[in-house]
Amino acid sequence: MVNINFKSKIKKIMFTIAVVVIFGVILFPPLVLFLTSLKTEVDALSFPPKWIFKPTIKNYIDIFGDFALIKNLLNSIIVAISNTVISLLFGSMAAYSLARFKFKGSDNIAFWMLSIRMMPPVVAIIPIYIIMRNLHLLDTNWALIIAYLTINLPFVVWMMKGFFEDIPKEIEESALVDGCSVFDVFRKIAIPLVAPGLAATGILTFIFAWNEFLMALILTGTKSATLPVGLIGCMRETGINWGYMTSGGVIALIPVLIFALFAQKNIVKGLTMGAIK
Amino acid sequence: MKKVTLFFTPQRHKYVWFLLLAPALLSLIFIVIYPMIFSLSLSFHQWNIIRPGGWTLVGLSNYIEILFHDSYFYSSLKTTLIYLLGTVPIQFGLGLLIALILQNVTQKISGFLRTTLIIPTIMTPIVVGIIWRLMYNPDMGTLNYFLDLFHLAPINWVGMPNTALLSVMVADIWEWTPFMALILLAGLQSLPTEPFEAALVDGASFLQMFRFITLPLLIPTMLVALLIRIIDSFKTFDIIFVLTEGGPGRVTETMNYFTYRYGFKFFHMGYTSALSWILLMIVTIISMLLIKIFFIRRVIER
Repeated sequence: MVNINFKSKIKKIMFTIAVVVIFGVILFPPLVLFLTSLKTEVDALSFPPKWIFKPTIKNYIDIFGDFALIKNLLNSIIVAISNTVISLLFGSMAAYSLARFKFKGSDNIAFWMLSIRMMPPVVAIIPIYIIMRNLHLLDTNWALIIAYLTINLPFVVWMMKGFFEDIPKEIEESALVDGCSVFDVFRKIAIPLVAPGLAATGILTFIFAWNEFLMALILTGTKSATLPVGLIGCMRETGINWGYMTSGGVIALIPVLIFALFAQKNIVKGLTMGAIK
Repeated sequence: MKKVTLFFTPQRHKYVWFLLLAPALLSLIFIVIYPMIFSLSLSFHQWNIIRPGGWTLVGLSNYIEILFHDSYFYSSLKTTLIYLLGTVPIQFGLGLLIALILQNVTQKISGFLRTTLIIPTIMTPIVVGIIWRLMYNPDMGTLNYFLDLFHLAPINWVGMPNTALLSVMVADIWEWTPFMALILLAGLQSLPTEPFEAALVDGASFLQMFRFITLPLLIPTMLVALLIRIIDSFKTFDIIFVLTEGGPGRVTETMNYFTYRYGFKFFHMGYTSALSWILLMIVTIISMLLIKIFFIRRVIER
């Protein structure tokens, strides 16, 4: 009996150590980012790094006094929200059609959309760049709002198709019998039933658009650069101003982390395109 | 049964199903199919976008040049494979370990850790790059501080050819191991409890249960996790861009990065299109093979 007790105690200690190590390794790098964002330039550049210092919010004040970065932030918000709205609208309509009407080729269309998501973006970006150039859309927010549909539209279709298939058809069918049009059934019955799923999907599309860098780098210029591009831009021109970079990085992370908390339950489902629930 | 499903047949609602589908379908035709045809046609031409003059038809010569004469292409292919094989298996192993640990701690701790695992997964990749640039900084970086504590000489992590690729890979492992753990944990939690209870009654050890129950039941989840990470690994761009820009020299230049550089530093659009089609072919073949393995497994299980 003593032996078993001893064994389980050792087991408990080992698990505790493991959990602490996992926590530490995951949280330490972002913590360094956050701490550096609160340091003065002198403190940030000192070696060995100062762990105890007088925190300052000067970097954040500087960032919000910088017109260029505010513009980047606004561009990011405009692009991410517009793209999310369009993706959700078009995507959930298509998903409803694919989930409810099993027409010839409906499965093929669904799989084709899934395969678009597997494609490396660098493959599509070259022709998209040339097309946007010909349409004179380069360096406008429209370029990204449209280009991000390649990522987010298939995502919404695939996710929402799963959510629609999870709700029973009977309510919608009885509404159809009562003479409702399919559009009304979709709008007034199906959408409210999948509302939580729609919200989680929307949060993820927002995060994807907010985080995206490669397309933004290529399709934007000074007028329409999003936050990731803006942050990298100030790294290039002036050498690295760590206060600026780190506080900008923290600002970029805030909406992502807040939204991620809301969509927690659906994040794994979303990131695996519904393969894992 | 048949009578009920009749209400949603395409025949009954002649155009409605198509009207619902059309906006998404047309958008994707415009931003995926059309560009891909455009790019395929461009790959048989020579065209420098910043020089005057139009497309010159060159047939297959872009492809021949890449496959038979471009040693940089092969070095980038090699880098891509080293990157893939050096990150994904480690992420998988560590992810599985974390998932197993989390399954064996109290609900409260594992719930909290789950949230923590989401942080690197969902983080803006550019910010991940900034964080690691901060960690790797040769002058004031945190990693060199740890080396200093043990009286070791500082290392210029991302600046030296022999440590650069490894450094980027470590950042990648940090970013994506939690994602693997999340998927595998979800898989573990959805396993049926009966086999484990029966095994406990029969006096099976922890290792026996893992080997003969957990592992076989978890295989579908493992394959999904591996499939997603392998496909995504070919897309890695952001952290390479922030940490090394493909350098020093070309040691961290993956195929993805090589294609980007050809297109948007040298502006050889025809050559870049051919490169991107080769990249697409490689990714497609690998994903097809993996999906095939995945589905064969599923069929066997049924």
